[in-house]
Amino acid sequence: MTNKSTSRNSRKVTRRTLVQGMGAAGLGATMGAPFAGRAFGQAKAPVKLAFWTFENPQQRPWIHKRVKLYMEQNPHVTVDFQWFPFGDLGKKISVGFATGTAPEGFVSQDWFMPTWMDKGLLAPLDVQRLGYPTYDAFTNDFAAAFVKGATQDGKVYGYPLWFYGFCNYLNTKQFKEVGLDPDKDWPKDWNQFGEVAKKLTIRDGNKFTRQGFKFAMHAAQWTMIQFNPILITHGGQWFDASGKCTINNAAGVKAMTARASLARQYGAEDPADSIATNPLPQMDWLKERCSMFWCHPIPLGAIKSQNEKMLAERYFKPVQYPGVEPGKGISTTYGFNLVVNARAPKDKQEALQDLYKFIMSDLIDCWKDTAPFSLARKSGWADNPAVKEFPDVAEIIKAKDQGVFLPRSVVYTELADAVHRGVQKIMLTNADIKTTLDEVAAEVDRASANYKKG
Amino acid sequence: MTSSGPVKEMASVSSTNAESARDAARRPHRPARKAWRLHYSRRIQLWGVSFVLPTLLFFAVFKYGPMVWAVELSFTSYDMVSSPRGIGLENFESLAADPIFRQSLFNTIVYIAGSTALITLVGLALALAISTAVPGARYCMSAMFLTNLMPILAVCLVWRFLLHPYGLVNQLLAPFGVDRVDWLTDSATAMPAIIFVTVWRFAPYFMVVFLAGLLAIPDDYYEAAQLDGANAGRRFWHVTLPLLAPMIFFVIVVSALLSARIFLMPYIITGGGPGNATRVLSMLIYETGFSYMKMGRAAAISVVLFTIMMVFTFLQMRIFMNREQV
Repeated sequence: MTNKSTSRNSRKVTRRTLVQGMGAAGLGATMGAPFAGRAFGQAKAPVKLAFWTFENPQQRPWIHKRVKLYMEQNPHVTVDFQWFPFGDLGKKISVGFATGTAPEGFVSQDWFMPTWMDKGLLAPLDVQRLGYPTYDAFTNDFAAAFVKGATQDGKVYGYPLWFYGFCNYLNTKQFKEVGLDPDKDWPKDWNQFGEVAKKLTIRDGNKFTRQGFKFAMHAAQWTMIQFNPILITHGGQWFDASGKCTINNAAGVKAMTARASLARQYGAEDPADSIATNPLPQMDWLKERCSMFWCHPIPLGAIKSQNEKMLAERYFKPVQYPGVEPGKGISTTYGFNLVVNARAPKDKQEALQDLYKFIMSDLIDCWKDTAPFSLARKSGWADNPAVKEFPDVAEIIKAKDQGVFLPRSVVYTELADAVHRGVQKIMLTNADIKTTLDEVAAEVDRASANYKKG
Repeated sequence: MTSSGPVKEMASVSSTNAESARDAARRPHRPARKAWRLHYSRRIQLWGVSFVLPTLLFFAVFKYGPMVWAVELSFTSYDMVSSPRGIGLENFESLAADPIFRQSLFNTIVYIAGSTALITLVGLALALAISTAVPGARYCMSAMFLTNLMPILAVCLVWRFLLHPYGLVNQLLAPFGVDRVDWLTDSATAMPAIIFVTVWRFAPYFMVVFLAGLLAIPDDYYEAAQLDGANAGRRFWHVTLPLLAPMIFFVIVVSALLSARIFLMPYIITGGGPGNATRVLSMLIYETGFSYMKMGRAAAISVVLFTIMMVFTFLQMRIFMNREQV
């Protein structure tokens, strides 16, 4: 009895024990306060970070919003947020590294990653700081092809952000006008592609009223993005194992012949018009001056701003690329990394990683603001209803998952410029394909040799 | 002991002073010489130098310094990230073997020659037309000069649209039976199109220079020539042209230097294409330096361009000086 009663009493909370407990807690808090304060003070030392990214109507404002929110929640952190035109960012950063004015953090287009990493300009990231227990947990959470370009020797150099593939965007109204069913008759191989494009083309003498398809020829990067899958599906490759450019081999010639056939064989494209049209490469498709265009995921807002009717009546549709074998076409994929300047002080490198973790902590918010630009991360967004209800999202994600990467090379810029010039010569001056590709390969090999010399 | 030292020293100092005062009294009287005072002309020179010094320093730091550094860089391999590494003449040797450099050099020479010749001819023709007593000539001059007030970027963009295969130029030519011309995308017409835009932009500017020269020629010469029976052509050939020679020389040199540095026009209008048809050396310098991060090689191209322009200017001066002496 007594024992039982004692036992009961020992568990019973009395006023005395409550007061004792509160007193002990208060004493503990008082004793611990100086230490806690010191720890707090150390973590909240003022940090000023410079961060650069590229301009884009959806993506830049979203990053900017997240950075502002981070600064509100972390008043000790100030981020000097700057953005530049898409094509200029890489050059700005190069000059920044040369003059010691490069930002501590920036968004890197993934085709620049080999150059930055080769020159030791990027700091390795701490995956645990980014919220992953191990290196493998980190790499497994992203598309393998993307991670390959952001990692080296077991270290992570880029926190993957957006990552997407290109689709063949159709104007379904124009398909129906010429008696084609866009759901069934979308071109699945190269022959179909030429035939469908030809059918969709309307000409008035030597003037195109409507082009069946249109290659973007205004910039080297677009030339690469659009030719990359044609080359790969025809069995070609950019470089062999020794690093020699192989664009001029039989497969390369075959691929370029397929690319040129749209204009040369099917007369479904006006290359002279393509080169002179800017600033939006997809503008002619949005304005219904061409029926098909290969493009990155196009935001609905972009369609609305150029062609409200097209959006309202939903007469557009993304489908997969044509392939050598019907239905086996693949897209080009590319993406962006959040990276840290290796020359930044250690405390800033750590602060940037905390910022990056915060930026990427709400992927649904990212999707809502930047859809349909798909994300590199596998988890945390694709199953969300907000994503699933987006029109044709399955095609967009499929293009990303099945796509091939742009070549990763330290002479990527030289390669892109050489290919761009080659394509211009072939398409605009009717130059011989083999001879031109030989010149391109020689130019790239010279650039590789120069790079090796240092 | 302790106090005698300073006293002795003071005594010796005072005796020394007394001796020197006696020596001075013995010497013939001369006016006191003020060593710090400079001669008037020297002072004027120093003032002049002090006024010019900030400008000289500015040029030394921001113009000649970088030029010397560029020459130095041309003998190095420099990727803008690691330190420059000396490689001797390797950059120049590889340039000589590079077909893109050779094509760009050729394009640059064609562009300089074409635009300089046309700017001079068109500028002179416009000035001659304006200097006649045609009603409204002054308004025409103002209207033509407006081309120089437009931002170059806007000029390039507007001309890119005008010269588009479906652009206004082709539409205006169509009624005359001219078939579609791909001005900017055909390698045969792209460079002439850029030269045309250059002339459109700069000829009115040099027209003003020629006009100033024409107005400075006294009417007496023309009257004398007319009395001697010279027709308009002969008066132009024997009076106007010789007296305008300094202006012509100035226009040729300045427009050639301007053309050699042209960058934005080909960069924006054609991007150097189609292929390499309109790639000029300044574009190649930019691409090599900032896209490919090969600053040493870019500096070597700059040195080549600089040398060409130096030789060109020197030859021009020699020809002009010889003519003047004659």
